[in-house]
Amino acid sequence: MKINFILNGREIELTVPSDIRVVDLLREELDLTGTKESCGSGECGACTILVDGQSRLSCLMLAAQLQGREVTTIEGLAGNEGRHPVQEAFVQAGAVQCGFCTPGMVLAAVDLLGHRPDPSRAEIREGLSGNLCRCTGYQKIVDAVEMAVHREKG
Amino acid sequence: MPDGRIPQIGVVFPRTDALTKVSGEEKFAADYYGQDLVWAGVKRAGIPHARLKSLDVDQARQVPGVIAVLTHLDIPGENRQGVVRKDQPVLVDDKVRHAGDALALVLAESKPALAAALNSIRCELEPLPGVFDPEQALAEGAPLVHEDNPEGNLLLKAEVKTGETESVWEECAAVIEACFETPHQEHCFLETESGWAKVESNGKIVIVASTQTPFRDRTEVAQVLGRDHTGIRVIAPYAGGAFGGKDGITVQSLLGLAALHSQGRPVKMWWDREESFSAGTKRHPARMYYRLGAKADGTLHAVEVRLYLDTGPYDHLGGAVMTQAVEHSGGPYRIPHAWLRGWAVYTNNPIGGAFRGFGVAQVTAAMEQMMDLLAAKLDLDPVQIRLKNAVRRGDKNCVGVTLTGSAGLSECLEKMAAHPRWQERQTWIRAAGLLKRRGVGLAAVMQAVGYGPFVPDVANAKVELTLEGKIRVYSGVVDMGQGNAATNLQIAGSILSQTPAQMELILPDTDRTLPSGSASASRCTYTFGNALIGAAQALKERILQRSADLLMAAGPDELVLVSGLVRRVTTGQEIPLAVLAKWLTDAERIAVYRFRAPVAQERPAKDDQVRLHGLPHCIFSYGAHLAMVEVDELTGAVEVKGYLAITDSGRVLNPQTYEQQIHGGIVQGLGYALSEDFRVTDGLIQTSDLATYIIPTAMDVPDMLSIPVEINEPTGPFGLKGVGEVAMNGPLPAVANAVAAACGGRCYSFPLTSERVLQLMTAS
Amino acid sequence: MREVFLPRTLDELWDLLHRRPEAAIYAGGTDVLVKLRAGLITASGLICLERIQELKGVRDQGDEVYIGAATTHRTLLADPVIQEHFPILIQALNVLGSPPIRNMGTIGGNLVTASPAGDTLPPLYVLDAEVEVRWGDGAKRLPLSQFILGPGKTSLGPGQLLTGVRLRKSADYNVHHFEKVGQRKALAIAIVSLAAVLQVSDSGRIEKARLAWGSVGPTVIRSVEVESALEGRIISRDTLTKAAALAQTAVSPIDDIRAGEAYRRTVAGNLLLRLINYAR
Repeated sequence: MKINFILNGREIELTVPSDIRVVDLLREELDLTGTKESCGSGECGACTILVDGQSRLSCLMLAAQLQGREVTTIEGLAGNEGRHPVQEAFVQAGAVQCGFCTPGMVLAAVDLLGHRPDPSRAEIREGLSGNLCRCTGYQKIVDAVEMAVHREKG
Repeated sequence: MPDGRIPQIGVVFPRTDALTKVSGEEKFAADYYGQDLVWAGVKRAGIPHARLKSLDVDQARQVPGVIAVLTHLDIPGENRQGVVRKDQPVLVDDKVRHAGDALALVLAESKPALAAALNSIRCELEPLPGVFDPEQALAEGAPLVHEDNPEGNLLLKAEVKTGETESVWEECAAVIEACFETPHQEHCFLETESGWAKVESNGKIVIVASTQTPFRDRTEVAQVLGRDHTGIRVIAPYAGGAFGGKDGITVQSLLGLAALHSQGRPVKMWWDREESFSAGTKRHPARMYYRLGAKADGTLHAVEVRLYLDTGPYDHLGGAVMTQAVEHSGGPYRIPHAWLRGWAVYTNNPIGGAFRGFGVAQVTAAMEQMMDLLAAKLDLDPVQIRLKNAVRRGDKNCVGVTLTGSAGLSECLEKMAAHPRWQERQTWIRAAGLLKRRGVGLAAVMQAVGYGPFVPDVANAKVELTLEGKIRVYSGVVDMGQGNAATNLQIAGSILSQTPAQMELILPDTDRTLPSGSASASRCTYTFGNALIGAAQALKERILQRSADLLMAAGPDELVLVSGLVRRVTTGQEIPLAVLAKWLTDAERIAVYRFRAPVAQERPAKDDQVRLHGLPHCIFSYGAHLAMVEVDELTGAVEVKGYLAITDSGRVLNPQTYEQQIHGGIVQGLGYALSEDFRVTDGLIQTSDLATYIIPTAMDVPDMLSIPVEINEPTGPFGLKGVGEVAMNGPLPAVANAVAAACGGRCYSFPLTSERVLQLMTAS
Repeated sequence: MREVFLPRTLDELWDLLHRRPEAAIYAGGTDVLVKLRAGLITASGLICLERIQELKGVRDQGDEVYIGAATTHRTLLADPVIQEHFPILIQALNVLGSPPIRNMGTIGGNLVTASPAGDTLPPLYVLDAEVEVRWGDGAKRLPLSQFILGPGKTSLGPGQLLTGVRLRKSADYNVHHFEKVGQRKALAIAIVSLAAVLQVSDSGRIEKARLAWGSVGPTVIRSVEVESALEGRIISRDTLTKAAALAQTAVSPIDDIRAGEAYRRTVAGNLLLRLINYAR
């Protein structure tokens, strides 16, 4: 089937099998391998993308569902001035280890800050609780989100 | 670059790999696709023990889109692999020995075709009685996992005896006996086992794999494919987590074989989570019998330990894990009389393998609870009894080896004793809310660094001044997330005075970098860092000497390296490195250096097999851990409210990456302590995915406090010791001791699920 | 390849259901697409409800509140009407799955899945929720307890769709208590859960109690005996302990990979003791 949607700020039109999972569409057809897959069943958050600004699990979405939506993957998060403040904070705070959860974790944090601009540490932990990380113990990720908040406030 | 400054040792240096990881650009092995991609997948047995009667792949070959269906008959070389003992088939040829065994390999045009073909393979398997408990497996008449093993189901036994074993118990004022059981632990790296392979036009097989061991993989794949290792190239990108689970072959041999049948097209294999659980290795479950005796003042006098480790059907690294467990089983203490025995035993359970801690997480769980039981019996303070017996430099440890390296356990424990979290624990405990109980528990930890006395713990570093004037660092050891690649830039940059922008990094690649061993054993930065210092210094001397010659200076003392150039301090003259590089021959632009880690000279075990498997070590990291827990009286749920880790792993090169290792180890340990209840029933995994095997989320763990005790290790690079594993060992015993304190009783099986803890509270 | 349909109206949907009666229906996909991956659903077509506006949103209708079945958990959590009138539902939604699951999953999906561990079920039971079921040319309204028949089983007939949930506003309760016992704090499936709404007088007496347990039976468990044992009594350890003993006999849990039968039974009772926190 033919689908039209906005991907990382660009309108695109594709002909795809309607039942292909969004994670496969991104990785295999569009070469956007920043979106990871780690469980395939909604238990880990590695495949998180933003759809109309909200975090979604791309392993539990089919391509047909993208019709008319605005999709942001990790590759499209940085702006013209470079890294998104959350990405920059992840680098500076040491929130990245193996990096496989990182894209999903960053996007989950972006969604969180979008609707809760000044979260407590507990709220950050809650906001990231759908994204598993096996390296960091989460603390520096929480630090990074706090850092992003403080930098945004200037 | 995260930081435009020249990196310094001991100062935070944001990891360079974070930049490409945070943007999604970094390509992991799982991210390799390519034109004309072929998908490869494996048919797995699904039953734990069976004789392979026949394998019918005809129907699978007829599935549209199938390129090839391969069985053991298609393996050109040896159909056995393994790190130490070669006992694991690539594709089953005689018997299925665990449910995750591979029967056939399918190559297909698409994932749906692959799935359809795998479903159409018909295998006739004659079920055999299985053996699922290590002690039962050693009993007379137990079903044999390997009929050709002369020692039945015994893979390896290790024994160390020091002092006396019989009369000493009467000399003790208190003796504690207990048996502890710890379960399998699944690595749960986020990037499941994956790789990509292709035969190049010159016939060379290139394998990109998520691995900790590219050089060893190359040898193993070569044997399986019946080729010379020079015909194979293994490339190891950043791994998306490994923790020991990618120490050894996962997809590599299968991919090499697949590439031989894909007509030059690239082949990809990526296990899904369920396959990762079923086919991948796990931390060995252990049953541990302990007897520990002390004098009235708490001086440890005797210890007797029997460890049974379930290695599943294959050695993998089971012999080495068990040996390391034996070596650490008496804890970081002086104990004059020790009788320590371990058995690594074959069963039809999932494969036991390397996992952060490597046998030490299990024995620390037991020994540190024994210490609390002993302290309680003697009415001694838990910190003081540990402090009284803690090994110091020059002491003999529990296997009778003299500690020639730094040993900072006492410093860690002293800091712990003085820390407010310990000092003020009673106030905190008393503040427990309605229907809650609180407890604070401790554990002392240690972890050996490196391979031990026999397998050469060697690294070969290579540093190049490129024609563009950059410093190129060839990493010999895989970065699976621990940050050693960035640390290599930090080390080279600090010595050669270059900013990250002036440097390039080459990740492990058997064609480009030099063999430097596995990413394991808390050795990555210890061993490779030492080699890298040598190479970087050699290149620095050459750069300065040749620049001095070009500038007609009296000697290199007049010159300094700054980022991108050499400056003559007496005159201000400068030579850009790009200019200097053109004056050097290709050979001169490269410096290499080899380092071999020191080994202990003493031989505590009589059996040479035990030495071969890594006992003893001579360098250890240490630590003291404290857990503050709150137990819910209604549900038994344990919440860790605070955690403190004080660690001696020598000098800290980068406080940020150091803390990452401590935090990550603690949380993996908290999962092991509380929720990671891996269940296997008659060889079949019941917790087969991330919905049923419960690892911590961000909400399940507290903010942690990590304090380094920076004691210089004379043999370490800039005084460092390994820090990758040591933190893993503390959480289970510290939490268990805290829960025991809160509940007035103790569980002896782990993890401490709410169900177990509620039962415990009901009983006591 | 499976066909995927995204009808935009209920009329389109009825037509589709007529043409493709075998198709699997999903809204958020957090359950159906997981089962599809596991090979538990073999339907040749998939119908996604996410574009049907009629199925989405919260409508304040005076005494009643209507929730469209395809309303996501996240939307409900942010809804001021739900927040004001049904705090117990908010408490349960807060611990349902994880943020992305709540962004995708819907209340209708939670009900149609009919898992005894469904987090919204116990609150909806104590709130005496009714569901609206529609089909091509008809509609009916029935209590949730009659809609859910057993694990994974509902009374939905062929061609029928759960279109909404109706909740009556009530000023009766001043205690809204939900507790979920899982294996961890997020991404957890309930081992036991308890929803309790109470009317507690100024003197601490329970005037009215409605209780429901999740994950301790084939469907949500309610118990008139336990409710009666609480009503008319002052909240005290003694009262709650007696009620807990009754609750332990009222539930009928099973062993599974997450917990044993005995643990579930014990905790189902124990959770009542938490109500001591509301003693005056």
